[in-house]
Amino acid sequence: MFRRFLLLTLLCVLLAALPAAAQDTTTIRYFTFSAAPDHLEDLDTIIAAFQEANPGITVEVETAAFADYFTLLQAGVASGDAPDVFELNYENFVTYAANGALLDLSGMVSAEAPFYPRALEAFQYDGKQMALPATFSTVLLFYNADLFDQAGVSYPTAEWNWADAVAAAQSIRALGEDTWGLFSPVQFWEFYKKAGQNGECSFFNAEMTESTINSPACVSTLETMISFMNDDLMPTAAELSGVSDSELFLSGKLGMLVTGIWMFGAFQDATFNWDVQIEPAINQNAHHFFANGVAVSATTQNAEAAAAWAEFMASSETAATVRVESAWELPALNQPEYFEAYLEQTPPANRAAVFMALESPVTPPVIERQNEMQDAVNALLTQAVDGELTAQEALDQAKAELDALIQ
Amino acid sequence: MSQVMSWNRGIQRWKWVAVFLLPGLIGLTVFVLYPIVSSFWLAFQDWNLLQPPEFVGLSNFQELLADDDFWRALGYTLTFIVLYIPCVFVLGLALALFLNQKFPGMLMVRAATFLPVVASWVVVSLIWKWIFNPSYGLVNAGLNLIGINGPDWLFQPQTAVYAMVITSVWKDVGYIALLYLGGLQNISETYYEAARIDGANRWRCLRHITIPLLTPTMFFVAITLLINYFQMFEQVWLMPMRDSAADRQVEVIVTEVVKNAFSYSRMGYASAMSWVLFVLIFIITFVQLRLQKRWVHYEAE
Amino acid sequence: MRPNNALLATNLSGTVQPAASARGQITGRVDRLAGMALIIGLMVLPFLVMLSTSLKAQEYILQTPPQLIPNPATLESYSELAERIDLPRTIFNSAFVAIAGTAGQIVISAMSAYAFARLEWPGRNIVFLLYLATMMIPAVVLVIPQFILVRSLGWMNSYSALIVPGLFSAFGTFLLRQAFLAIPKDFEEAAYVDGANPFVIFWRIIMPLSLPSLATLGVFSFMGYWNNYLYPLFVARKEDVMTLPIALATLQAGPRSLTEWNLVMAGAVITVLPILAAYLLAQRWFVSGAISSGIKG
Repeated sequence: MFRRFLLLTLLCVLLAALPAAAQDTTTIRYFTFSAAPDHLEDLDTIIAAFQEANPGITVEVETAAFADYFTLLQAGVASGDAPDVFELNYENFVTYAANGALLDLSGMVSAEAPFYPRALEAFQYDGKQMALPATFSTVLLFYNADLFDQAGVSYPTAEWNWADAVAAAQSIRALGEDTWGLFSPVQFWEFYKKAGQNGECSFFNAEMTESTINSPACVSTLETMISFMNDDLMPTAAELSGVSDSELFLSGKLGMLVTGIWMFGAFQDATFNWDVQIEPAINQNAHHFFANGVAVSATTQNAEAAAAWAEFMASSETAATVRVESAWELPALNQPEYFEAYLEQTPPANRAAVFMALESPVTPPVIERQNEMQDAVNALLTQAVDGELTAQEALDQAKAELDALIQ
Repeated sequence: MSQVMSWNRGIQRWKWVAVFLLPGLIGLTVFVLYPIVSSFWLAFQDWNLLQPPEFVGLSNFQELLADDDFWRALGYTLTFIVLYIPCVFVLGLALALFLNQKFPGMLMVRAATFLPVVASWVVVSLIWKWIFNPSYGLVNAGLNLIGINGPDWLFQPQTAVYAMVITSVWKDVGYIALLYLGGLQNISETYYEAARIDGANRWRCLRHITIPLLTPTMFFVAITLLINYFQMFEQVWLMPMRDSAADRQVEVIVTEVVKNAFSYSRMGYASAMSWVLFVLIFIITFVQLRLQKRWVHYEAE
Repeated sequence: MRPNNALLATNLSGTVQPAASARGQITGRVDRLAGMALIIGLMVLPFLVMLSTSLKAQEYILQTPPQLIPNPATLESYSELAERIDLPRTIFNSAFVAIAGTAGQIVISAMSAYAFARLEWPGRNIVFLLYLATMMIPAVVLVIPQFILVRSLGWMNSYSALIVPGLFSAFGTFLLRQAFLAIPKDFEEAAYVDGANPFVIFWRIIMPLSLPSLATLGVFSFMGYWNNYLYPLFVARKEDVMTLPIALATLQAGPRSLTEWNLVMAGAVITVLPILAAYLLAQRWFVSGAISSGIKG
């Protein structure tokens, strides 16, 4: 009996010790954060078209939520088990390119490639095209038109500044205990954008030798952001109790929400009238320019197939059409016909705001120790939100931490 | 040994030693000893996994001393220990004394007590995260019934610590009680008989016999708890609500190590930090061994 | 596995029985019943919350005050979960890793323990001390280099990564060595006279006589593999090798996950049921193992 047990055990251990079965040489793995959970079927449509055009290549999709994505990607790249093709946002692109984790795709981009020049430049490193721009997106002011009507205030206009928004939010907040005026998250990404709206605030000096995040302009920007919550126009995280801001908006209990245009699809289910407007200004208009690129791993065994898929994902007509039709971000292609189709869809009626927003783009501050900077700034921002630190104190500490990170 | 076995001598014995020991020894060398050594080596390197490691001497340790995040993590670790250990220590003892009685249904109570011990930390963390939800969770609903407006629990650093301590006590109290039960079993019945002849009531028995004779176990429990809670991880990793103040501020040493290693790709720095943790634990174990001599002596008296 | 607890294991063996006499009776009847109800209530209630939440439909999750008993009760969260996670595969992964890991750990620990307990060779004590010393290293020290090692062996996202590094347990060796030392040598000597070699003695005499200790190690090894989180978190990210705790934790990472508590709790039920069942079946070994191993769970 013991002998049988031993044999069985050894067999188990042996089986387990066998390395994962050899991969099919024509299978490429694609890792993405933007597809799940709303656009998996759209991605499947694109893949089907690609596989039809490239018989012999199979694309295997791996997805992760944005919050986890870069930790996982890092682990994968570090472990030598990187996906063949993966999505990168602009902030993280620099780290990966600088560390030699990406395959040079310069040869892939022909002169007549239809990319937006600005987007193409964003993914160059040392003069080489280390990733292809796939999509871009931005963040707008979403508003619940029904709540505006009930409160008897007029809809946001392109000329609004935040004082106008706050006035409207106060009227909407007065509608009921559980109806909130506006929601504009207090975190790293919002902060550097609102800094852009202030115009005088930047996280670093031009030479990148010192952080200027505690300048008076930055402090006043942060004070503005926090005031929404202090004035009880915006729910605190605990008041939301885990309900996301977009769920709150969808439930019809939120007047205005600052969020990304990737929510257009999810908000189609809304039972009320809603629209978008460019964000209010502080001193000037400023909007996110989020560019997502598609990169090929430097260690891929199937460079050609991987590059073909990256290019298909970035610039094929199918990919562009599917993205536009499903309101899944915008293709980074300089081809008006896609955007015309995009503009025709409603809601939101004021889709043109997307392109207006992109006239005042801000890009994030990027340093090599990006994740540490984001975590440090986020931790201090929550302390300022909670009133544990004043805006000035929080940003003084942030300056010290950022200075240490760029050393 | 009365009889000498021939295979236990000369060349023959090495054959058998190899057969029995080598599978385990090779594995231990590759998967435990080598990682220990390489982790120690890493603590003196700067390595982001993508570029080759670079020797940096003691600079990881120097940076650690000046790293506010590390001190904050150490501070939270100690806060957890200070809040959690007295609770679980006393409650575990009370539970053990209760479970040590012989009554119908007691086996069922024991089984219930150990359910949280066998459940994984991931499951336990998620269940309590839901129970502590300020608007929709059971805890604040209960507090509401008695007219208390419950706190934000896993959103704020302070209350999140309490919530995690409560969860940890719930999870571990059965295990601690079990350790005490083992100790209670070792107390000889004769002490109690003698006390009863002297007319001692049960509380006197508890105070003058059970507790003093249980001190070795209590000591052992305290040290076990200390060592385990210097290494706490799952509850702190999983419980705070995402993006809340608690999520962004509450870190313990192990979460700080993991964050540096896998989120910031600072393998050398994270290794250095894990060795500092080892030194802390080593000091505690050393103190334990010293004091253990005392209680072993004490028992022999 | 924690080092200091092993020291205790030397003088604790067998299972804990309820006190045989009246010495422990410290509470009256009413107190006792109240105490029993309180303990069972506190220990079981959170599991009931888990079960009840998993049986609710999405629209009943965010209610104040919360529903204690789901009305209507539905299994839709389980079917939704099955769409998100490849459940059969994940359950199989967890079970396979835990069973293979446990079996392997028992065999390897027992063989090493035999070499320490029954074979005589120079340097034995030094090597044994080395084993003991490794038990002092905190798990997190090992996580980073093991991750790097697994990566360089090309084992990322494979069963090997999940099983093999855990097989070589100094604690298991230690526990079984103590058990083997307690077996009288007379048995073996009789077998030796009959011409048996060490292997025969090991399989035919030592192992059968040590079944309680093997079971104890087995229960704890199984629990360790089944519940492990910190290490698999970084070596098994792909769905085809993902174990239940990892899959469960990823449910919390999605954009809407913070309100899909029915789904999360359904996952928790599936993760915890097998181990609770295993515990109730093997309570005896669990109790002795818990005392001697010092595992937090």
